[in-house]
Amino acid sequence: MQPGFTVSVIVSENLTKYYGRTVGVRDLTLRVPEGEVFGFLGPNGSGKTTTIRVLVGLLRPTGGNARIFGLDTWRDSHRVKVDVGYLPGDLRLYHWLTARSAFEVVGRIRGRDLTSNGRRLADMFDLDLDVRVRTMSRGTRQKLGLVLALVHEPKLLILDEPTSGLDPIMQERLKDHIRGLASRGHTVFFSSHSLSEVQHVCDRVAIVRNGRLVAHESLDTLRGRAMREVSIRWHTARAADVPIAPDFLEVHHRMDRQWQCALHGSVPELIRWIAGKPVADLSIGQPDLDSVFRRYYDEEAVEP
Amino acid sequence: MIRGLIGKTVREVWLATLIFAAGMFAFEAVLAWVLMEFHEDLAGQWLQIDFIQKMFKGLVGAEIGDGFNFSHLGVVAWVHPVILALLWSQAITFCTRVPAGEIDRGTIDVLLGLPVSRWRVYLCESFVGSICGGLMVAAGLAGFLVGSMTIPADSRLDAGHMVVVAVNCGCLCAAVGGLSFLISSVSERRGRAVAVVVGIVMASFLLNFLAQFSEPARQASFLSMMTYYKPLLILRDAAWPVRDMVVLAMMGLATWLAGGVLFSRRDICTT
Repeated sequence: MQPGFTVSVIVSENLTKYYGRTVGVRDLTLRVPEGEVFGFLGPNGSGKTTTIRVLVGLLRPTGGNARIFGLDTWRDSHRVKVDVGYLPGDLRLYHWLTARSAFEVVGRIRGRDLTSNGRRLADMFDLDLDVRVRTMSRGTRQKLGLVLALVHEPKLLILDEPTSGLDPIMQERLKDHIRGLASRGHTVFFSSHSLSEVQHVCDRVAIVRNGRLVAHESLDTLRGRAMREVSIRWHTARAADVPIAPDFLEVHHRMDRQWQCALHGSVPELIRWIAGKPVADLSIGQPDLDSVFRRYYDEEAVEP
Repeated sequence: MIRGLIGKTVREVWLATLIFAAGMFAFEAVLAWVLMEFHEDLAGQWLQIDFIQKMFKGLVGAEIGDGFNFSHLGVVAWVHPVILALLWSQAITFCTRVPAGEIDRGTIDVLLGLPVSRWRVYLCESFVGSICGGLMVAAGLAGFLVGSMTIPADSRLDAGHMVVVAVNCGCLCAAVGGLSFLISSVSERRGRAVAVVVGIVMASFLLNFLAQFSEPARQASFLSMMTYYKPLLILRDAAWPVRDMVVLAMMGLATWLAGGVLFSRRDICTT
C-alpha cells in the first residue's frame, strides 16, 4: 500500500432504495476507510436500517450501488459476508439455539472452528453457553447476537443499534471491544440513534435524515461545531454590565457578576475576546455533541 | 457450509417429520388391514351406489370397470383424505419454511448474514425436504405392507405395484411441495403462504371431484393435480402412468425453480 493511501472498505455511490413510492434512502454517497469506527446516525425511519440491509445484501438497490471490499453488495453478497459480522437491528434468533450450538452451526457454515473464540467472547459478555434462546432475556439474546457477529473476527463489523437491550456495563465492554478491533485494523459500521452513544468510539459519523445524508464528518469537526457551556465571573457587578457579548457568545443568563453563556465559536476566539477584560473566573464546558445532532433533527422538523 | 445448512434444517424438522411419518405408517397399516379384511362387505354395500362410484373414480383416477377386483379396494389407503391430509400438511409446512417462515419469525436476517447464497439456502432446504417427503411416502408404503401381512397372501395387493403407487404419490407430493416453495418465495407471512397453498390444493381436489359430475369441470380438470394421480390404474392394469408422473414432477420442478428465482431476486424485509 502506498503511504497515505487509504482503502475504503464500504463505498456507496448515489445509493437509492425505494419501497414502492416510499423513499428508503436517496443518493447516499459514503466512504468508510479501513480501520475506522464509523457512526451512522439518524432518527427512526431516517434510512439507517435500509442502508444496512442493502449493505448486507438483503435489499436490492433501486439505483446507485454499494460495494464492500470492492465487491457488489447485491451480486456478490455471499462472498462479501465471509469477512463481515452483522448484527441486525431487530435481532431474532432460532428459539432452539444455545450459544454452544450456535458456535457449532455457524462454524460449520463458515467452515471453521469457532468454539474457542466463541467461549472467550461468551465469557467477556457473561453469556451462559447452554441456555436456549427461548428462555433468554432480550439483553441476553442481544449479547448472543453480538458474539455471533464477532466470533469469526470479521474485517468489517456492521452493527445496527447494538447497545439496545444491553446494560451500561455490557455497553462499555462492547465499546472497549470495538476500540480494540479498530486498533487492530478492523472496520466497524455502528448505527445508532444517539451521537452521545457513539462519540467515544467513533472516528467519523454520518447523519441521515429522511433517507438523505445530511452530514458526513469527523467527530473532531463536529466537536468544533458543537456548542459549549461557558461561565464567566466578572470582578465586579459594574464590570459585568459593560461588555457587549460577541456574536459567537450567546448569553443565556446574567446575574450580578455572573454570565451563563453558550459558545458557538472556537475557544481561541473566546480567549482573544476576553483577554484584558476584568474577569475573575472562566469555565468552559465540554462540547455538547447532542446539540449538533439535535440541530439536524430540528431542521428536519422545520423542513417543509 | 452445506453440512452446516443441512444440519440446521434437520435439527428443526426431524421431530415433526418423525411424527408425521409415524402417523402415515400407523394409518396406512390400519387402513390396509381394514380395507382388505373387509373389502367384500365394504365394496358390496358401497360401490353399488352410483354417486359413491363417481366419488371413488375421482379419488383413485380410474373407472371401476372390468377387471376390478374387490381386493383393489386397498387402493383407498392411498387416496384416503386422512392420508392425503398428512402428506400435504407435511409438504406444505416444510416447503413454506424458507423464505416465508424465516422472514415471518425474523431469523432470515441472521441466516442471510452468513456467507451463504440464497440459492444455496434454497437448495439445502429443498434437499432435506425431498428426503423428508420420501420418508413420508416410504413410511406409508411400509405401513401398508405391514398392514397387509395380517391377511392371506393371495388376497394381498402386489408389492411391486404398490411401489409404483408410492412413486406416483411421491410425484404428487413433489408438485404440492414445489407449489409451496413458489408461494413461500413471494410471501412474508408463513400463515398466508400456507393458506394460499391449501386453497389451491383444495381447489384442485374439488375440481377433480366435480369433473365426475360436470362437463365444464371435466374439461378444466387437466388443471388439477389429482388428475395425474392414478393409483387404481397402476394396481388394476399393472400400468406405469409415466406421462402423469412426468406431468406432476414437471409441475413440481417448474414451480420450485420459479420459487428459487423469485427468492434469489426479492427484497427481504423483516420489519
